[in-house]
Amino acid sequence: MNQKRQERSSKNLRKKHHLTDATEPNLLEDTFPYELPPLIRLEGTAVEYIDGEPVEFDFGAVKDRDILISDTTFRDGQQARPPYTIEQMVHIYDLMSRLSGPNGVIRQSEFFLYTKNDRETLDRCRALGHKYPECTGWIRAFKGDFRLVKEVGLRETGILTSCSDYHVFHKLKFRSRSQCIDAYCEIVDAAFEAGVRPRCHLEDLTRADIEGFVLPFVDRLMEMSEQVPEELSVKIRLCDTLGFGVSYPGVRLPRSIPKLIYKLNRECGVPSERLEWHGHNDFHKVHANAGTAWLYGCDFVNTTLFGFGERTGNPPLESAVFEYIAIKGDLCGIDTQAITELADYMRSIGLPIPENYPFVGRSFNTTRAGIHADGLRQDERIYNIFDTGKLLGRPPRVAITDKSGADGVTHWVNEFFGLKGKDRINKIKVHKLARWVIDQYDEHGRLTAISDQEMEAQVKELMPEYWEKYKSD
Amino acid sequence: MATVEERVKAVTARVLKVPQEQIKLKHSFTVDLGAESVQSVELVAMFEEEFGIEMDEESALAVETVGKAVEYITNTCKEQGVDVEQ
Repeated sequence: MNQKRQERSSKNLRKKHHLTDATEPNLLEDTFPYELPPLIRLEGTAVEYIDGEPVEFDFGAVKDRDILISDTTFRDGQQARPPYTIEQMVHIYDLMSRLSGPNGVIRQSEFFLYTKNDRETLDRCRALGHKYPECTGWIRAFKGDFRLVKEVGLRETGILTSCSDYHVFHKLKFRSRSQCIDAYCEIVDAAFEAGVRPRCHLEDLTRADIEGFVLPFVDRLMEMSEQVPEELSVKIRLCDTLGFGVSYPGVRLPRSIPKLIYKLNRECGVPSERLEWHGHNDFHKVHANAGTAWLYGCDFVNTTLFGFGERTGNPPLESAVFEYIAIKGDLCGIDTQAITELADYMRSIGLPIPENYPFVGRSFNTTRAGIHADGLRQDERIYNIFDTGKLLGRPPRVAITDKSGADGVTHWVNEFFGLKGKDRINKIKVHKLARWVIDQYDEHGRLTAISDQEMEAQVKELMPEYWEKYKSD
Repeated sequence: MATVEERVKAVTARVLKVPQEQIKLKHSFTVDLGAESVQSVELVAMFEEEFGIEMDEESALAVETVGKAVEYITNTCKEQGVDVEQ
């Protein structure tokens, strides 16, 4: 566009905006209902230019599509930390099932199958009898590994089918792309023979030759799928292994998420319900990329609890849950309070969750500035994202200041120790701490809020008997 | 041994930093002796420590005067089997 056209175009777009005066507030509750996360109200279509042609994507339809969440906390999540014990995994799986709800919004969770402990964990999780998440496996693309899937009797397993030339040539040492595809297809055939659905994980997809390798490979997988019953047909996981995926329109392949999904979905004909997005957070794009995958036609997004996964992690499961509710406009049977329980449990077994981490960090809804605290006192909606008390069991908090009083300090202490009902400590027992807080301002002239870390240190010093009782582990 | 009244006045003087001899039974902790919110809590805590008793938070903090405190503490000591000088 030349400069003159640009000027004309921008001139034509200018218009006058008139104030809609009001004496009553319009809180936009259609979008911000407070008892739910803010809704994502999608309308109309989005256009992406693919191979020079405009292609429409019906974002409005996503509300009615069967979009779902899958989980890899025990596979990718566990690759980033020392192994969980069997008991820990069974407990996490149990809570995840509660979070998922009767509709199975968290539809699947994948498990390693390599060690005796892996297999015992799987057995014990399945023995809980939960319908969701369904347990699936994960193996490398080695024929020998497939024996493991058969032994444990799973209906579906992920198979690592790396697809960038970094992997094909430099990691897996294939002599050619065709040799690589033949090897992958042999494993897929073995899966079909055993009556197990293969889920091909296109590792490093966002750095692969899409036209020259990925699409011909997926074409072949689709041809193979036509020869088997529908329930065995290949699923495709789009693995953004190093977080190179980009969500917005106009980006070239292989980094464009819209184009990748279009190519697999519409050109190769992989149905949406057999497409799954698996992201990584190396460029801070992980959650937005997962949401984008949903919009452009990929029904599954693969996640881990609190985003904990290889290196910078994966799409956080709990964020996907809130995104799901925001798109659907309904809780859909999801028990969101289980998110808080999961976070408490993860912390108790040593998973570090940053203080400011959304939805579950200790300070995620703590307001510090006095003016914010004042706003919260008047109407908690002013500085709270949604009804966090109802949805997460975490009402908004105010950081400790000179205005907190003994009641505020006592509230903080009980929340810190996680005490409820008759177990709550009364304010008589908190008097030394309340005095310390007051003295910070009256005696030492402090002007800032007291951090949770400072409060913790004082609780340890001034309330040693309670520290011993509740925090000594 | 000092009486309950003497001990209550001594604790009150120490916590609220007022001369003990100026404290009267009719004095209100807040209005006459200037107890702020946190000091009221500290008073109850110090009474518990002085007499070796446990007090109910709500009813203890509802006591307004020194005289009522003497009465309340005397009764609580009796209920909890703590010997005190009347």
